[in-house]
Amino acid sequence: MFFPDNYEFYCPVKINSGNRALEHLPVELDALNATKPLVITDKKIAKKGLIKKIEGAFKDSGITMAIFDGVPPVPDLKLVRRLMNNYLDTGCDSIIAAGGGAVVNTAKALDIVISGKPEDLKEVAGEDRIKNPLGPFIFVPTAYGTGFETSRFATLGGLSFSSHFLMPDLVVIDPRMVTAEKANAVVSTAMVALAHSAQAYTCPAKNPMTDTYAYAAMQFVGENLVNVIRYGDKKGRLALANAATMAGIAFSNSPRGIIHELGWAAGDISGLSHGICMGILLPYVLECHIDREGYHLSDMLLPIAGAEIYAGTAENLKARKAINFIYDMQHNIHDITRGKIPLTLKDAGISKDALQGIASATVGDGRTGFNIDDCMVILEHAWEGRPIISS
Amino acid sequence: MIAGHDALEKIPGALAQLHADRPLIITDKGVSGAGLVDTVVDAIKDGVDIGAMADDVPQDSSLTFVNRLADVYRDNNCDSIIAVGGGSVMDTAKGVNIVVSENADDLMKFSGVGALKRALKPLVVIPTTSGTGSEVTLAAVIKDHERNLKMAFASYFLLPDIAILDSRMTLTLPPHLTASTAMDAMAHAVEAYTGLGKNPMSDANAIAAISLISSNLLNVIKNPSDREGRLALANGATLAGAAFSNSLVGVVHDLGHATGSVCGVPHGVCMSILLPYGMEYNMHKVAHITGELLLPMVGAEVYAGTPKHLRAEGAIAYIRKMNREIHDATDGRHARFFEEVKDRDGKRMVPRQKLEDIAGAALDDGSIFYNPEECDYEDFLMIMRAAWEGVPLDRSLIKKG
Repeated sequence: MFFPDNYEFYCPVKINSGNRALEHLPVELDALNATKPLVITDKKIAKKGLIKKIEGAFKDSGITMAIFDGVPPVPDLKLVRRLMNNYLDTGCDSIIAAGGGAVVNTAKALDIVISGKPEDLKEVAGEDRIKNPLGPFIFVPTAYGTGFETSRFATLGGLSFSSHFLMPDLVVIDPRMVTAEKANAVVSTAMVALAHSAQAYTCPAKNPMTDTYAYAAMQFVGENLVNVIRYGDKKGRLALANAATMAGIAFSNSPRGIIHELGWAAGDISGLSHGICMGILLPYVLECHIDREGYHLSDMLLPIAGAEIYAGTAENLKARKAINFIYDMQHNIHDITRGKIPLTLKDAGISKDALQGIASATVGDGRTGFNIDDCMVILEHAWEGRPIISS
Repeated sequence: MIAGHDALEKIPGALAQLHADRPLIITDKGVSGAGLVDTVVDAIKDGVDIGAMADDVPQDSSLTFVNRLADVYRDNNCDSIIAVGGGSVMDTAKGVNIVVSENADDLMKFSGVGALKRALKPLVVIPTTSGTGSEVTLAAVIKDHERNLKMAFASYFLLPDIAILDSRMTLTLPPHLTASTAMDAMAHAVEAYTGLGKNPMSDANAIAAISLISSNLLNVIKNPSDREGRLALANGATLAGAAFSNSLVGVVHDLGHATGSVCGVPHGVCMSILLPYGMEYNMHKVAHITGELLLPMVGAEVYAGTPKHLRAEGAIAYIRKMNREIHDATDGRHARFFEEVKDRDGKRMVPRQKLEDIAGAALDDGSIFYNPEECDYEDFLMIMRAAWEGVPLDRSLIKKG
């Protein structure tokens, strides 16, 4: 087994998952010394009646809460300022974010400003610039997420933040909130979790703590994603929500990796969901790492495919087998959804001319260790749907 | 959490991030006698101003002592605490932290679950055994000997800010203690995984812990200077601590606590002896998940080569085999069953006639609530008799509920 000489790991996140998990909210708030939460969400989630479920959890507690259900798909700094005034005027002392992506980014930005002032946002953008713990912050996932929710990252209004103070104090995973979603949302969320955990598990900077979370996340996605798409079972959805949370923790303690940067750039440039892009790109990126020094591709076969397949595969074929497992997953999902989930970047509607732009956006400041040519190899193969290493 | 072969050197930077630079170091005579505190002091003295040092934490954490240390903290203008040692040092440090942070004159006011409402002073913990996992738990127990009370505290705010796992801290732990503390962690992980409180997070931590302990323990016992192995065991213990503090334990811990309080047998020794019996006792209820544990114990090849219905037996046999091999590798100092447990003078610690008392004491322990099968006096006694002699349980005698 691989064991690093030195590593650090940080995880302050408490997870409360299961039937009626929401009902724990009053007690959990009390433990965080909070009495009046501001619930932040978007119209779509409110319309599904999900906020009523949170209200229901508080009904005998004497706790009143404020609700804001107007987070737009692309929130800006003005919204954060408005929410701050709301928060202070109504005497709130904690934040509950119900939803994914924009909702959580808004909540994190709000948490920064209510612990200081609006000007702080620009000041603390960047890496590890937040110096003190923020106010109590609870995250309630729904079926859709970007993979940033449980992590140390947030983006808003063109600013990016990275600090472990941005990890939620508590994640409450309740099956009533993780409702059946369109395949697109489920695949996108699960594929980000798979990409982040595969990156954390196979990269040279892995450690026993990131391994623990990444292993479980990969196993949950491997066992459940195709079934959830096919049958929509409730238990599987809960497992995927857990996987997303665990992957966020592993991701927060690992280098971001080329899969994240490529998927992110592809999503930005094409307007597709980042998760769908990451899902398409994942096996191709992994292929590029098979022979890279210091990577542990073979190890991921065990969590993703299970012990029988792992043990039955010769050592030198394990990495290949793991990648093929992901290719198979993609094909299954593509077939079940009758092509709604694209197999290639081309099917996804990205033009071949756009690839160069994605590659240069990815290479960016060069931190990934990949150059434009490396990226183009991945992108071109993923565009056509042709494995890089012919099997 | 910071881990590595020179993790101690990172303490000043980590404290600075918490806006602290004048720690009180809390430890016990055993730890300082082994020279471990000197190692810590050497590693940090250039980066921080050590406010004070107390190296006389008693085996049993006491309120009087906690209050005395709180005075030391205040008199020396400390702004943070570094705890170096095992369970009682950690408990004491947590107690001191409550007193100095809340200016409490009566610790009792803060006992119970969730009575603490805000962050305490920065607390850095450096475990010196790879077993208890108390570096990652949010509980503490302090005894008030005058009022004859045991105060228990549980709160998020008792979680240490930083846990340091440094291979130098466990390098000198003798093999038989390495064994019993690691098997203590193994018991945490197994009970967390098979108990009623199991969940995906505790499962993930338990599987990782079992895998690290299984693949390193015997090596470390045979080569005590194996730094990588030492660090792996320390990680295993931390993961196991995270597993059981998120899911609770069962019959193994129940009987272990009882044996500890009736006969004074160290906790880790009780755990390693009782673990296979607990697994056997619960097997009819949780054979399937007990069988899953064979994977992290022996690896995928052997696991996949073992037919499904034999995997649970395989996991139990593995623990027994491990106890036997450790017994051989420590010249018999690691006890396989209770009859073999001796104190320092070579005197038997668990006389056979005490087994009834132990079974009785086990009835009063709360650990059993999360055990898959219920357990009454006869069951406890049956397990203890088998664990005393070192024979497998007669599973046909278990009252199946």
